[in-house]
Amino acid sequence: MRLPSPATVRWGLLVLLLVLWEGLPQTGLVPELFLPSLSKTLVALWAQREEYFDALLVTLSEVGIAMLIACGAGILTGALVGGIVTLRKLMLPVFSSLYAVPIVILYPIFTAWFGIGSESKIAFAGIYGFFPVMLSTAAGIRTIDPQYILAARSMGATLPQQIARVIIPASIPTVLTGLRLGGALTIIGVVVSEMLTSSAGIGYLVSRYRTILDSAHVFAAILMILLLSILFDLLARAVERRTLVWQTAGRQSRPGAAGSSPAVPAPAPV
Amino acid sequence: MSQFQLVSTRLTLFAAFLAAWAILPKVGILDPRLLPPLGDVLAMLGKQIVRAQVQEAIGVTALEVVVAFLIAVPLGTVIGVAAAESDYFGQIFKPMLFYVFSVPKSIFLPMFILTFGIGFPQKVAYAAFSTIFIVIMSASAAVESVKADHVLVARSCGATRSQILTRIYVPSMMPVLLETLRISMIFNFTGVMIAEMYASRTGIGHLISNWGENYQMPELFSGIVLLSAVAISFNEAVRLLEGRVSRWRT
Repeated sequence: MRLPSPATVRWGLLVLLLVLWEGLPQTGLVPELFLPSLSKTLVALWAQREEYFDALLVTLSEVGIAMLIACGAGILTGALVGGIVTLRKLMLPVFSSLYAVPIVILYPIFTAWFGIGSESKIAFAGIYGFFPVMLSTAAGIRTIDPQYILAARSMGATLPQQIARVIIPASIPTVLTGLRLGGALTIIGVVVSEMLTSSAGIGYLVSRYRTILDSAHVFAAILMILLLSILFDLLARAVERRTLVWQTAGRQSRPGAAGSSPAVPAPAPV
Repeated sequence: MSQFQLVSTRLTLFAAFLAAWAILPKVGILDPRLLPPLGDVLAMLGKQIVRAQVQEAIGVTALEVVVAFLIAVPLGTVIGVAAAESDYFGQIFKPMLFYVFSVPKSIFLPMFILTFGIGFPQKVAYAAFSTIFIVIMSASAAVESVKADHVLVARSCGATRSQILTRIYVPSMMPVLLETLRISMIFNFTGVMIAEMYASRTGIGHLISNWGENYQMPELFSGIVLLSAVAISFNEAVRLLEGRVSRWRT
C-alpha cells in the first residue's frame, strides 16, 4: 500500500484537529469548560465583536510602537556591535549570558515604573523584541563575505558607498530574519504583559474572561492572537522571500534550529 | 585585544555598572524609591533568603522546574530523533513543528488553568509544553549533525550497530545535546516563571509579581537578582561543559 503524501497527511491532521475541536465538546467527552467547541467560540467572538475589535486596536497600537523601538534600537546597536570588532568581542558573550535570564521577571519593574497603562507594555515588548533584532543585525554584518568589501574598496568605493551598496544589501536577509523573530516577540511581549497586569487589550480580555470562567470568550481571544501572530509570520516571510530573490549565494540552514546556525540567535522562550 | 584584556575590560564594565547602581540612587541622581541602591537590595536578599515563606517558594519552584524538565526533555528527544531518522515522519511533522514553534506558547496558559487549576500540575504541564518544541527541534538537529562519512567509515571497518551508536552517534551528538539541555532549561525556567506570575499561590514567580504589585521595590529587585544569578550560573556551567565535549571537533 502506498502511503499518502506528507502534505495530504498534514492537511488531514489540521482538519482532524478542527473536527475534534468541534466534536469532542459537543459529544461531552471533554467538558465545555476545558474546551468550548469551535462553533461556540466563533459565536462568542461574533457576539462581542466590538469589544474584541477595540481591544485589538489597543494591542496593535502598542505592538506598532514597540516594534518601532525594538527595530530601530536593535538595528542601530546591532550595526555597531557587528561592525566594530572590539565591541563585538567585548559584548557578544555578555549578551549570550544575559539570554539565560527570563525577561518576564522584569515585568513587575516596568509596571512599578511606568504604571499599568500602555507605556509599560511598550517598554517591556520593546526590550523583548530588541535582542533578536540586535543579534541578527550583528550576525548579518559580521557574516558578509569580505571579498565583496575588498572588491568595492579596490574599485575605489568610499565608506558611505560601501555601506550603502555593499554592507546594507548583503546583510538584509539576516536582518530581516531578525526583524521577523523580533516582531513576533514584540507581539508576544505585548500580549503576555497585557495578560499579567493591565486594563485593556486582547491579553486583558483573555485574563478577564478566564477569571469569570467564560471559556468561549477566552478561546475567542486566543484564536485572535493566534491568527495575528500567524498573519505576521506569513507577511514577514513573504517580504523575506522577495528580498532574497537576487541572493543566489547558498544561505545557511534555517535559523531557529539550535546548533545549526550559530549566526542567528535562538528564539527567545515565551 | 588579547583574551586577558577582553575579560578585564568586561569585568571593569561590570564593576562600573554595579558601582553606578550602588551610588546613583544613594546620592539622589536616580530615585531610590524606583531603583533601590545595590547595597539595600543585597541586604534585603540576605533577609529574605532566611525567611521560611521564601525558602518554601524556592523549593516549590525548583521542584516544578525539575519535574517539567524531566518530562519535556526525554519525550522531546524521542520525537525529535524519530522525526530525523524517519523521512516520512519527518516530512509530515517538521513543517508543522516550525509553525507551532513560531506561535506564542504563553497564550495557551489560560487553557492550562481551565484544565489543571492553578496548582503544581498546571505549572509542570505548561512548562513542559512550552519546552518540548525546542527539544524536538534541537534533537533532530543533533541527529543530523552526525556525519554520514563517519558512520560509513565505521561500518566499513566492521563496527557493529551498538558500536556505531556508542562510538559515532553519542560523541557526535553530545555537544548539540548539551546545547539542547541548556536552551531547554532556559525555556523551561521561563515557562515556570510566567505560569507562576500569571496565577499562583506560591513559588518565587508569585512572590516577585506580588512584590511588584505592592510596590516593594527592594524585595522585588532582590528576587530578580537571585533568579538572574541562578539562571546565568546554570547556563555558564553547561556552556563550559559544552566547550569540553566539543573540543575534539576542531
